[in-house]
Amino acid sequence: MSEKQEFVPRIIYFMCSWCGSGGAETAAAHHLHYPENVIPSRVNCTGALPAVHILRTLIEGADGVVISGCHPGDCHYEDGNFRARRRIALVKSLLDSLGLEPERVWFRYVAHGEGRRFVDTAAAFNDHIKSLGPNPLKTRSDT
Amino acid sequence: MNAKGAVLSADEGMDRAVIEWLKEALKREIFDAVLIPVETPAEDAFAYLLIQNPAILDRASPLPPVMPVQGGKAIGRLTMRGHLNDRVAAVVRPCEARAAIELTKLKQAHLTNLVLITLDCPGVLPLSDYLEDPAAGAARFAEAAAQGDRSPMRPTCQICHRFSLAQAPGADLHIGILRNGDGAAVIVPGSAEGERILEKMEMTEGDEGTRLVAQMLERWSAQVEEVVDAQLERRRQAHAEVQAAVAGADRLLDTFSSCINCHNCQRVCPVCYCRQCYFESTALKLPPDNYLARAASKGALRFAPDTLLFHLGRASHMALSCVSCGACEDACPMDIPVGQVFSLLADRAQDALGYVAGRSLEDPLPLVAYEMEELHDVEQPYIEIYHEQEVQDA
Repeated sequence: MSEKQEFVPRIIYFMCSWCGSGGAETAAAHHLHYPENVIPSRVNCTGALPAVHILRTLIEGADGVVISGCHPGDCHYEDGNFRARRRIALVKSLLDSLGLEPERVWFRYVAHGEGRRFVDTAAAFNDHIKSLGPNPLKTRSDT
Repeated sequence: MNAKGAVLSADEGMDRAVIEWLKEALKREIFDAVLIPVETPAEDAFAYLLIQNPAILDRASPLPPVMPVQGGKAIGRLTMRGHLNDRVAAVVRPCEARAAIELTKLKQAHLTNLVLITLDCPGVLPLSDYLEDPAAGAARFAEAAAQGDRSPMRPTCQICHRFSLAQAPGADLHIGILRNGDGAAVIVPGSAEGERILEKMEMTEGDEGTRLVAQMLERWSAQVEEVVDAQLERRRQAHAEVQAAVAGADRLLDTFSSCINCHNCQRVCPVCYCRQCYFESTALKLPPDNYLARAASKGALRFAPDTLLFHLGRASHMALSCVSCGACEDACPMDIPVGQVFSLLADRAQDALGYVAGRSLEDPLPLVAYEMEELHDVEQPYIEIYHEQEVQDA
């Protein structure tokens, strides 16, 4: 038993069902590993991910949220990733105005073939959140 | 430059002048009806009346001391189900006109055949202050308005800089009443429709008049500009103060800790238009196991749950259309500074996406439109450090 418990963040990884989760499949085919505390969650398109879901994730106990969709111009629905970018800009602006650490939300394009980039994103975000520390909202019972 | 506009002489007070002008317009059949605030018979509130009978217009108050119903909501209710076949003039404050424009873009109102008439707004009193003694409140409002003193007004009115046509250019006609010194106001067209109406009212004057009007217009816009600058400074300061008071998880939860989940702020909000609010829907009414799991992870769970989610989520839904009117704060029974917080969130969010709520019908809604090349600071750059690290490890 280790004498000091290491902080293991809870991270939700929202990925679109075309490129983002395709990247996860490619990573699996190449036997690439990513941290086990990163919980993948598939959405149809990042453009269809409501801002409320990101906020709710952060309020209900996640330490960070990372969102991956197709590269610009590659969206299965033409412009979903451009819409997602605007919506995430809105969420980040709200979090920033309220001092709720907008850096707990990442948005990075991952293409179907980019398994390496997918696991790198998960690992880099995990380290980034570890250095940020736990999300203060997750232990507050009065949310 | 061509002097656009006309003089509205106000020997018997501004309200009287506006009412007489509207009556004349009704007589000339420029409008078929007028939507305007009127004091209720009990003399303790003001309500929007859709007036067809000119005699009732005599009781109207173009600038009432309080805003029990946001005019944008009234216009939305009137025109939600389709456009007007008769011509209606809506006499509203600039924030109410901006809300009506947002609702139109959100397809919740129709401005066809509706003429938006706004006035230089001195602000309104908080409803609770006014209700303590309506007569004294009305007197206090009149005095403060005459002196351009915003200190007794609602907190969001105290920091409002979109009280006139220059900063809220969506109206068809605007009545500039900002102290002109000589008991007269200017009536300025904000659209081609407004110009046509002034022509029909024969308010375009000869050469001699033109010079006088140009003078008054110049004086008025100089004064508006001066107040806008002062208000902008006050707004920056107030927003910095609000942010210092609410920023961070602890202070934010302290701010909303007295919330009783009445959702009044949502109900009175002019741009919260959903028939079914997400935060009142079954999407957030979950089986008991869900709550037990959340209580287990947090240690305990406050009931009714999702208070912070309601406020933050509502901000994510309406911050981009928020006109900073302050109706939410007026409706809050717990005195939470919700209007000030939302005004801060709205300004920052609209800044981030290059949008001003209610400025014009032409600006596309920010979550509907997009540019290919924008907001690159939101995208997390990919640094291949992690890749290299793993290659070394392998």
